[in-house]
Amino acid sequence: MNTSKNDREIWLCLNFTRLPVEVFNRQQSETPVVVLHRQRVICMNTVAEALGIRLASSMNTAFTISEQIVSIERDQKKEFATLEHLAQWAYQFTPSVVIKAPQCLLLEISGCLKLFRGLDNLKQNIREALDKLGFTATLGVNGTPLAAQCFAQTRRADNLDDVANSLAPVAIHHLQIEPGILESLQQMGIADCRQLLALPLDGLNRRFGIFFTDYLQRLTGQKPDPQKFITSKPRFDSEINFLSDVTSLESLVFPVKRLLGELHDFLRGRQLQVSQFSFRLAHRSHAAKTFNVMLANPDNDPAMFLMLTQLKLDQIDDMPEVDSLTLTARHFHDMEAPPGDLFHGTRFQQKDGSRHSKAEAAKAVELINMMTARLGPQACFGLALANDHRPERAWRPVALNARREVAVFEETGARPIYLLPQPPILESPGDLPHMAGPLTLLQGPERIDFGWWDDGEVSRDYFVARHACGALYWVYRQLSNNQWYLHGIFS
Amino acid sequence: MTESLNNLLKATGLWRASRIDCEFKRHPSSGFAELDAELPGSGWPADGVTELLHDQYGIGEFRLLTPSLARLSQVQARWLLLVSPPYIPYPPALAQAGVDLSRIVISQPKSPRDYLWVLENALASKSCSTVIAWPRRILDKQIRRLQVASRTGNTWCILFRPEAAGINASPAELRLRLRPGQPRHDNSALEVRVLKRIGGWESGDIRLTFADQLHRPMPDFSEMVVRQVEAVPLESMTVPDTVPVDGRTYEYQ
Repeated sequence: MNTSKNDREIWLCLNFTRLPVEVFNRQQSETPVVVLHRQRVICMNTVAEALGIRLASSMNTAFTISEQIVSIERDQKKEFATLEHLAQWAYQFTPSVVIKAPQCLLLEISGCLKLFRGLDNLKQNIREALDKLGFTATLGVNGTPLAAQCFAQTRRADNLDDVANSLAPVAIHHLQIEPGILESLQQMGIADCRQLLALPLDGLNRRFGIFFTDYLQRLTGQKPDPQKFITSKPRFDSEINFLSDVTSLESLVFPVKRLLGELHDFLRGRQLQVSQFSFRLAHRSHAAKTFNVMLANPDNDPAMFLMLTQLKLDQIDDMPEVDSLTLTARHFHDMEAPPGDLFHGTRFQQKDGSRHSKAEAAKAVELINMMTARLGPQACFGLALANDHRPERAWRPVALNARREVAVFEETGARPIYLLPQPPILESPGDLPHMAGPLTLLQGPERIDFGWWDDGEVSRDYFVARHACGALYWVYRQLSNNQWYLHGIFS
Repeated sequence: MTESLNNLLKATGLWRASRIDCEFKRHPSSGFAELDAELPGSGWPADGVTELLHDQYGIGEFRLLTPSLARLSQVQARWLLLVSPPYIPYPPALAQAGVDLSRIVISQPKSPRDYLWVLENALASKSCSTVIAWPRRILDKQIRRLQVASRTGNTWCILFRPEAAGINASPAELRLRLRPGQPRHDNSALEVRVLKRIGGWESGDIRLTFADQLHRPMPDFSEMVVRQVEAVPLESMTVPDTVPVDGRTYEYQ
């Protein structure tokens, strides 16, 4: 190797040995679980392994060993989706992540060793995070992608030196060689890589073809091996499946917590915040149920996520059983760096004379979040002025997260505290308004004649009217038909 | 006798009605001097449940609050939460009264359970300065819970209730009965009686006047006499020699 140590690539391979079973069963359960493919066991969890079940044995054999075994048909689509999700998860360690189907991830880590204070620390971090997720993987480190993959599969100690030397003791059946070539090599008496790599390349080329020698060169790093890195797509999907049906929604809290923790890591790794995420509760024999959790402001606070999710879960009463839980997030926002607040929680006099504190503002958003989560987004809104002279259009409801422009308030005549949404017609004997007794007109008329250019033409004379009982009303006479209407109450 | 009384007062911190005015000075004014004189601490409380009992809409029951709501919305960065108001409070009227509209939140829970949940959580959340509600039916123990929550959150809770509720006792700290008052000097008025307050008895009727001039009589055009203006002959009109412009006088050339 001519290149200096500094710009050499270091590849870390995560080999998810139990991926086929872990896509169905992430938590450490006491039940033995095996995954079948074409009637043969291809993967199992540790409990099943401890019972003595072997790979490639038939289901009958497995059942003779234990009757509690849960068998699941392999789902390769799900495996790939999970691998993609894990690749997005691994993005928090390094930006260079490669998916190697069916069960490997390759991470180029030369650039992030300093950040994680050395290889051992980084591996420790990855192992702990994987434990939290509930996945098991073997780790292998080497100078080329293929060698790292080989090291992960054979569980060899990390190698940061020459690739070809480190590969020497590896048996050739651990390499990705076609069965025909492998057989010929074994017949030639070649058992490990030391012997294989000692052979002249052009001879191998003539005998086994260009693809084989190309593979060997990429394995040892003599030829570059370009990889297709994942792009950090801002989307988040994660699923937890339950072996037995979950019947009480309270017991969903732990899996929900785990999913929200993943979402938090995902967001932190990308410096993003989320404004909305949705949960999907599914069961094979019921219709799936989806609920959205909306936030007034984009946020990345797992505690608040959990609280809002619990509020939503409390409202679900028609979901008897659940066997899978999915968390999806699509609406992302860039994280706004929180300005450092030395005197956290202290109230400062602002330019406009009011006193605000950071803690107060956070609390205010929290209440809105809670109310929208429990009551729905329509049941909670703010008020704003609108630039229109028609009384019913002089205001509009606004969402509380929106930054509102300040509409200028125009001096008008007296306005009532309550405006009736549909003004009722008043009786008018003698052309004066009556409402269970005569109304005395106190002030007016204030003529509002507006909107002849659009559909809501208004031409009215407004009066303040007093009822005999002492209440004050805002009434108007429609000029088109001389009819009296009640429009507001001076409460 | 007096010595033992003094000991009792010192040891137990017994509250005496004579201290009604000096103990609660911190309360901000309600905006009505006559009402301030009757309220403990000379103003609206900062927390606790206040019940306003009235049967008639439109007597000024909400305008009684607007001065203090305007001040709270400007001084505090906390919400003013209105829970299921009978009608939507009209923003131009609130803006006229000086209320900062960006502080107002309207919440419309659908079920009675959600209604009480919103009230209690908003009160206890510390993020509202005032929570106003118009409950149709509310039980004593529910009000007591609101009272506790409003103490926790340092939030003022206002409940509008029918006058009939005044017959029964209530855990609310302050109860006022509102009735329409006779207008005074063209201003509408409200008759208030404090039914219950800390450290005081039921008050007499207080008449509060709003400076709204809503009762200013309209000019009566029917009796107006139109005077005939005599035509002035053109020759008798004189043209002035000088015209004042910008405070200086210029003569015609």
